[in-house]
Amino acid sequence: VMDISLCLKRPSWVVDSKRMRMASHFQWLLLTAVLLYLTNQVNSQKKSTPHDLKCVTNNLQVWDCSWRAPSGAGRGASYEVCIENGSRSCYQLEKNSKIPPLLPGDYEITVNPLYEFGSSKSKFILNEKNVSLIPETPEILNLSADFSTSMLHLKWDDKGSVFPHYSNVIWEIKVLRKKNMEIVKLVTYSTTLNGRDTVHHWNWTSDMPLECAIHYVGIRCYIDDPQFSGHKEWSDWSLLKNISLPPDSQTKVFPQDKVILAGSDLTVCCVTQEKVLSAQIGSTHCPLIHLDGENVAIKIRNISASASSGTNVVFSVEDNIFGTVVFAGYPPDIPQKLNCETYDLKEIICTWNPGRPTSLEGPRSTSYTLFESFSGKYVRFNRDEVSANENYQLFFQILSNQEVYNFTLNAQNLLGQTESTLLVNITEKVHPRIPTSLKVKDINSTAVTLSWHLPGNFTKIKLLCQIEINKTNSEHELRNVTMRGVESSNYLTTVDKLNPYTIYTFRIRCSTDPFWKWSKWSNEKQCLTTEAIPSKGPDIWREWSSDGKNLIIYWKPLPINEANGKILSYNVSYSSDEETKSLSEIPGTQHKAELQLDKNDYIISVVAKNAAGSSPPSKIASMEIPNDDLKIEQALGMGNRILLTWNYDPNMTCDYVIKWCNSSQSGPCLMDWKKIPSNSTETVIESDQFRPGVRYNFSVYGCRNQGYQLLHSVIGYVEELAPAIAPNFTVEDTSADSILVKWEEIPVEELRGFLRGYLFYFEKGERDTSKIMGLESGRFDTKVKNITDISQKTLRIADLQGKTSYHLVLRAYTGGGMGPERSMFVVTKENSEGLIIAILIPVAVAVIIGVVTSILCYRKRECALKTLEMNPCTPNNVEVLETRSVAPKIEDTEIISPVAERPEDRSDAEPENHVVVSYCPPVIEEELANPGAEGGGGSQVIYIDIQSMYQPQAKPEGELDSDPVGGAGYKPQMHLPITSTVDDLDADDDLDKTAGYRPQANVNTWNLVSPDSPRSTDSNSEIVSFGSPCSINSRQFLIPPKDEDSPKSSGGGWSFTNFFQNKPND
Amino acid sequence: GDSWGMLACLCTVLWQLPAVPALNRTGDPGPGPSIQKTYDLTRYLEHQLRSLAGTYLNYLGPPFNEPDFNPPRLGVETLPKATVNLEVWRSLNDKLRLTQNYEAYSHLLCYLRGLNRQAATAELRRSLAHFCTSLQGLLGSIAGVMAALGYPLPQPLPGTEPTWAPGPAHSDFLQKMDDFWLLKELQTWLWRSAKDFNRLKKKMQPPATAVTLHLEARGF
Repeated sequence: VMDISLCLKRPSWVVDSKRMRMASHFQWLLLTAVLLYLTNQVNSQKKSTPHDLKCVTNNLQVWDCSWRAPSGAGRGASYEVCIENGSRSCYQLEKNSKIPPLLPGDYEITVNPLYEFGSSKSKFILNEKNVSLIPETPEILNLSADFSTSMLHLKWDDKGSVFPHYSNVIWEIKVLRKKNMEIVKLVTYSTTLNGRDTVHHWNWTSDMPLECAIHYVGIRCYIDDPQFSGHKEWSDWSLLKNISLPPDSQTKVFPQDKVILAGSDLTVCCVTQEKVLSAQIGSTHCPLIHLDGENVAIKIRNISASASSGTNVVFSVEDNIFGTVVFAGYPPDIPQKLNCETYDLKEIICTWNPGRPTSLEGPRSTSYTLFESFSGKYVRFNRDEVSANENYQLFFQILSNQEVYNFTLNAQNLLGQTESTLLVNITEKVHPRIPTSLKVKDINSTAVTLSWHLPGNFTKIKLLCQIEINKTNSEHELRNVTMRGVESSNYLTTVDKLNPYTIYTFRIRCSTDPFWKWSKWSNEKQCLTTEAIPSKGPDIWREWSSDGKNLIIYWKPLPINEANGKILSYNVSYSSDEETKSLSEIPGTQHKAELQLDKNDYIISVVAKNAAGSSPPSKIASMEIPNDDLKIEQALGMGNRILLTWNYDPNMTCDYVIKWCNSSQSGPCLMDWKKIPSNSTETVIESDQFRPGVRYNFSVYGCRNQGYQLLHSVIGYVEELAPAIAPNFTVEDTSADSILVKWEEIPVEELRGFLRGYLFYFEKGERDTSKIMGLESGRFDTKVKNITDISQKTLRIADLQGKTSYHLVLRAYTGGGMGPERSMFVVTKENSEGLIIAILIPVAVAVIIGVVTSILCYRKRECALKTLEMNPCTPNNVEVLETRSVAPKIEDTEIISPVAERPEDRSDAEPENHVVVSYCPPVIEEELANPGAEGGGGSQVIYIDIQSMYQPQAKPEGELDSDPVGGAGYKPQMHLPITSTVDDLDADDDLDKTAGYRPQANVNTWNLVSPDSPRSTDSNSEIVSFGSPCSINSRQFLIPPKDEDSPKSSGGGWSFTNFFQNKPND
Repeated sequence: GDSWGMLACLCTVLWQLPAVPALNRTGDPGPGPSIQKTYDLTRYLEHQLRSLAGTYLNYLGPPFNEPDFNPPRLGVETLPKATVNLEVWRSLNDKLRLTQNYEAYSHLLCYLRGLNRQAATAELRRSLAHFCTSLQGLLGSIAGVMAALGYPLPQPLPGTEPTWAPGPAHSDFLQKMDDFWLLKELQTWLWRSAKDFNRLKKKMQPPATAVTLHLEARGF
């Protein structure tokens, strides 16, 4: 139902609006028809009636209306104009007449020509909307120019008094340049008419100097009266006014000496009658812009900052140049780091940093003014000062009753100004000047007086001064003193707690309280404090001379801090119960004295004297308090220090003294002593004189009533070394199954450490075959005995085989390591006892076995005989072979192998002792001359059987060298070059260095003088370098050389005979 | 008697000979050394000006420091002009020559001191002050030569003393032109003086060979 009603309603609304629109259309049609009718009517009557009524106004007070007169109407014709606006008012007017303004609305105007016959009156409908408002043409009152700034100044009157009410006015101003009047500026400017005549101003700055070309200015206006509904139109342009050029200007280029912001644009022109050929700014040429006549201009864009004398702009004509200088720069930066302080509370010095340079110098540079707002005083910055020292600062006199100052620093140049401010309480910003006239005066040996001068009026504040005290070879010390400030005067303070007889260097600096800044340090002043009596007696010790008759008193010079002056002399006195005696004065340079004392107990007293007096006496008893249970201990140090400890002994009341000396020196000795307080039980003795491997004796004494008792004795090393020599040992006795070895002690100097024990090695071996190469390497048949009981000096080796050669080696060891070896060969006796037992015990069965035994013995005898034939030596005896001749039979004789046997052996190791024991070599030897190696003094051993066996396989020397085996793995046991040269050695060396396995026989080592050959296996056992004369599969010679650097076998080739030759009779 | 009289007369003449100034060459060395000294000083100043002008023209900026810059000599009429016609120069006598030198340097020194006051940088001021001192020395040296030759020093005429008038009357550019011309005129004057003193020297010391050698050794 509702929908329907809406549908029904809507059309009725649409119909209404349509009706209304139709009605307005109708009205418009009607109006148009009326207007057409009227126009028609007018046109038809044009010829005979006034027509074309038109009204304008320029001030809204009066409307100027005019119409066309009817044809035939003469000049000066009069009309009656009637205006119908409710009432009818008629005016008798001429053509173009003024009527008062009409209120908005249509008015019927009747214009009736008077006295004109044949013409009829006309009717017009007049509305304000048909009236035009055209303001009166404005008039320029004045146009002036400021050439220096290129500014035009325009002045005109708005004539507002003729307007009835307030209205807005828009002025349009045009600036024209050059004679052809190019518009360079067109600008609008709004004002208000306020019913009064008002003079308006307008300024304009030209981008081109006004001198360059003629400039014209015109103005017109538009009155925007909101109450007026008619047409509003611009007024006509005023008459143009122009700027007259300055008369008779000398300069030709404009602008002159212009200061301009860097980066801006600038036009420079040249006014001339001559033709300008070129223009340049600096050294850059610019295109010319032609102005009137021959005048030209150039445009400089984004000008860069000038150098100190400005930027030159030059115009060249035929025979002359004209120019100007432009100063492009920046306004001053805000003064930075403005700081005001005072040195003396008389004058404030303000400093600042000008910031970015302005590029303007000389008369155009920035001027600074420091203004203080509380007092209203100011100071100006003198530019000359700046160029002198490039330091921006200003001085402001302190006012007597003012402490707080509010400073404003103003910076100004032709391009702008800036400022920065600072509020400062000047009593908190005191930076005193450097103290002068520092003087030092003695008071006593530990105190001096310092005086100095400090300029400034510090009466209102406190000064804080710092004294630096420098002592030679000591850290400097700073002491602060606070004092009341005074007016430019001397200050005085006492420095105490100094050391007597010490050179001090003083200097001083001052600040104020509250602290702001330290002054600079004053000059240094040196002073030597006076002497005082020595604070302590000298450190004394005494020793009895070796004959026990004289007592030698030693003392140490007093350290400078205890001497308190120059020690001039010492007084030594000694007193017993009965008497006191003094020695004559001992000069200060001497530090010991010898006394002849009897057996009485004396107290010896030593006193040191300087110019101020004598020290307290140092006393020591002559006699030592005996000690029954004296223990000797061992100690080990580190580096050059050694730690000693002892048990606390409450009886020891004064102190402990540690005395030490080098124990290897015989007789009483004294290297140094050290006193330790009585509450200590340990000390570290340190001395640069301590050397490793040297034994020192330390004696710890306790003190009781100035008497000293030796508490214990310590022997010590700062560092242990291995023994320098091997112990001498001899074979005392041999039997069939044992050897008794006896050795001697190693002297202390050679021992070089605490003896920890001996190592004794023995193994089966003959002199020739046994290469005891690295006994430590643990060969299975090498037996080792470690003798740790160092008091043991003999050793019996039992369970040996009879009639066997043994190689014995003895070495000592200390905490520092193993000493060198000494070796010896011993052959045990035949086991006769065994034989006897073997004969006696089986007596019972001898008969049965006898036959068998007889056969066996018979066979054995044959063999033995054969052996005897080959070997001249006698079995069952130890033989020492001394000469080449048939060796005498000497049992168990030890022969020291001379060093000469191994001339190349530069090892420090002790040469080995050799006991050469003859035996029966199982091979046939033959001595042959080896021509190649003869020069080395050696001969070659040729093992016939082996050689014959291997000779076919032996490679020539060259091939050996190039053997690709490369030293690795297995090497043939026999490479047997017949001739070898020294040259071969290098190659061989290389091979052997990498060899894992060593040949049992390397002929090189036998044949050659080869000091560098690595064949040598043990530096202490030359035997090893001898080739094994044994068959390759009988006697082992398999231990690889341990020491490749060890020297070579002596004498090159070797043979038994050679060996004999080289024996100890050399 | 006559012969004795003649002898006595001869002796008297001989006795008086050393007193005759014209012959007494050992006592007073004459103006020669001071002319030589003045000549040397002139050459030294020439050398000194070369470095000063380089610095100063660089300070003035381009185009003043460009080698081919040669503006007309306008507006600097007050500067004493060094260039003269050769005939005129030859016709000058020693006194006139020296007087002109003296007057020129008096004026130039005065201008130079004005230049110093204008200079913006401290370094330039130091150089200028140093040169002024040297020029003052040259002026004193010329005065010494004139005194030795017995010529009076020219009295400065009142009102002709050149005054330095910086300010609006003189634009910076014209000032720079003046500075340029001052340096140029100074250089020309030093050339001319060297020539003048060389001529004077030759005239005063007839044994010229030794002197020439001496000069060559000192030549710049």
